[in-house]
Amino acid sequence: MLLCDFHIHTTYSDGSVELKRTIDLFGQAGFDVIAITDHVVNGDNPLGKLAHRFKYSVTAANFSQYISHIKEEAERARNKYDMLVIPGIEITKNHLTSDNSAHMLIIDVQDFIPACISYEEIFLEAKKQSALTIACHPHYMSAKTDRDTLFLWNNRDKYARFIDAWEIANRDDVFNVISLKKYPYIANSDFHKPRHLYSWKTLLNCAKDVDSIKQCIRHNKGVAMTLFRN
Amino acid sequence: MILFWIFAGITLFGIIGYLFQMIAVRSYTAPPHSGEGMRFPRSFPPVSILKPLKGLDDGLFDNLESFCNLDYPEYELIFALQNQNDPAYKVVKKIKDKYPARDICIVVEHCDEGLNPKVNNLIPAYRKAKYDLILISDSNVRVEKDYLSDISRHMADASVGLVSNMIRGISGRSVGAVLENLHLNSFIVGSVCFLDKYLRMPCVIGKSMLMRKDDLEAIGGFGAVKDLLAEDYIIGERIHRLGKKVLLSNHVINNVNEYWGVKKFINRHTRWGKLRWKIGGAKYFPELLSNAVFMSFIPLIFLPFTKLSLFLAAATSVTKIARDYYLGNRLGADMHPLLYAFTPFKDLVIGSLWFVPVLSNTVAWRGNRYIIGKDSLLFPYPETGLKVWRPRIVTAIKTRLALSKY
Repeated sequence: MLLCDFHIHTTYSDGSVELKRTIDLFGQAGFDVIAITDHVVNGDNPLGKLAHRFKYSVTAANFSQYISHIKEEAERARNKYDMLVIPGIEITKNHLTSDNSAHMLIIDVQDFIPACISYEEIFLEAKKQSALTIACHPHYMSAKTDRDTLFLWNNRDKYARFIDAWEIANRDDVFNVISLKKYPYIANSDFHKPRHLYSWKTLLNCAKDVDSIKQCIRHNKGVAMTLFRN
Repeated sequence: MILFWIFAGITLFGIIGYLFQMIAVRSYTAPPHSGEGMRFPRSFPPVSILKPLKGLDDGLFDNLESFCNLDYPEYELIFALQNQNDPAYKVVKKIKDKYPARDICIVVEHCDEGLNPKVNNLIPAYRKAKYDLILISDSNVRVEKDYLSDISRHMADASVGLVSNMIRGISGRSVGAVLENLHLNSFIVGSVCFLDKYLRMPCVIGKSMLMRKDDLEAIGGFGAVKDLLAEDYIIGERIHRLGKKVLLSNHVINNVNEYWGVKKFINRHTRWGKLRWKIGGAKYFPELLSNAVFMSFIPLIFLPFTKLSLFLAAATSVTKIARDYYLGNRLGADMHPLLYAFTPFKDLVIGSLWFVPVLSNTVAWRGNRYIIGKDSLLFPYPETGLKVWRPRIVTAIKTRLALSKY
């Protein structure tokens, strides 16, 4: 089984660990597959503007640098740790209310996708790039510091068919509603700090290449979750 | 005022101790004179390296990989784990796959012969060891290519029974890790060199221990230390009692402490303090007196404030920062100079922790709880009776506190 984490932030957005060190942290711990998914924040409201101002967002301007840096590090990770690193982003639509906020991962992203376009356009663009779309922390979270992002769950009837998988677990939280709905699932750390390494992870039973991994998640066969602890 | 001068005197005693430690470390880290260490012909006997593993240490992959790249003609690596669910298992599998030509053996065997989990890991690994020389090396150690050739040369002398190494803490990125590295690179290395140089007292730290199987068997093998917490120190002491030399190699090895929490730092040094208290007895008291920073702060905190007591604490702190900076440089530590400013704080924490071993005889290590007796002999923590309620109450309070956050 491949030990995987598809939700990882670096200093390209609001993570506290720079990309190289993040990759080393996961490599040193024996991971097989990770995705780097820094925030792309909507800049069309005060919250988003603040994120842009404090450089907590990947932007169209630095996207190519972001991707090439990940690719460079991915090669190093493959050679050194035999670990696959997939480039991604976390589309971050923050609004004042939890009901209107949504975060989603675009795994294996090729071109920049702005967060201020409509959900339909985002899903279409992701599909065009053959990227995976994952709904992040879709339900109520326990930690007070994190804001809930309920939009996709509240509008699941409309959007579920566009979403490849849902986060059934995020760091310490488990969302049993995903299980009840029998949606395809994965589990991630939402890594921002080194201690987040020890959290929920995904185990995949497939070959270690991007296409097999995407297929495995989409079909949601051979997928398991594990609480990674030291 | 007389109390102030008593503490000032004790502080001075501590500062003189710092000076002697500096001289001791300096003598061990001085470049060897030409011809030194060449008394015996250079030989490279094959070595079995035993690596007991449990959980993920900081930089585990690089630590283990450094042992695959040694400039040494013949050696085997034996990684020992208690079960395949250990997260370190995946890392050693990757290491084995990356170095197919290297003689690597992964031993996964549950062993509960003793109470010391590290020795329980070593017993199955030792059974697999095929060479006469064995090197016990902790998983948080990272070495240079010339490490094995440098330390194995000592074994050409038949009177040498054990070779251990000086350690330096590296890679600290969190507060706990910085405190740990500061302590390793000052108090620990200073004390080990001081004891070895002036008191001829072998003080073996288990990060790296090279010895012969025959000598280990002669002291009863791992079975003789399976219930001891300080198995490393006792092995060194017993080999010394056999009449063999216990050498402290001047080859400095790296102890990687990258993302430690402060709690881990406190736990480790409370545990090590308990070891020293149970093994050394009365010898444990000078340790507090030699903590000059702690002693210099006592008048400032407990006696009426004077400029003189402030000066004493400040001057001692500056002296200690300068000394630790010197030792760090001498050892080649990678710490940023500004981080040495944490030294007085670290010494105050260590000074406060000094009292814990005198008051408590329980230790928690690698997920287990024990009672520690003389010479660090371990006893299982009782499952019945009054004692069992203490950890239960503590756990209940911790759970309540954790739940109340939500």
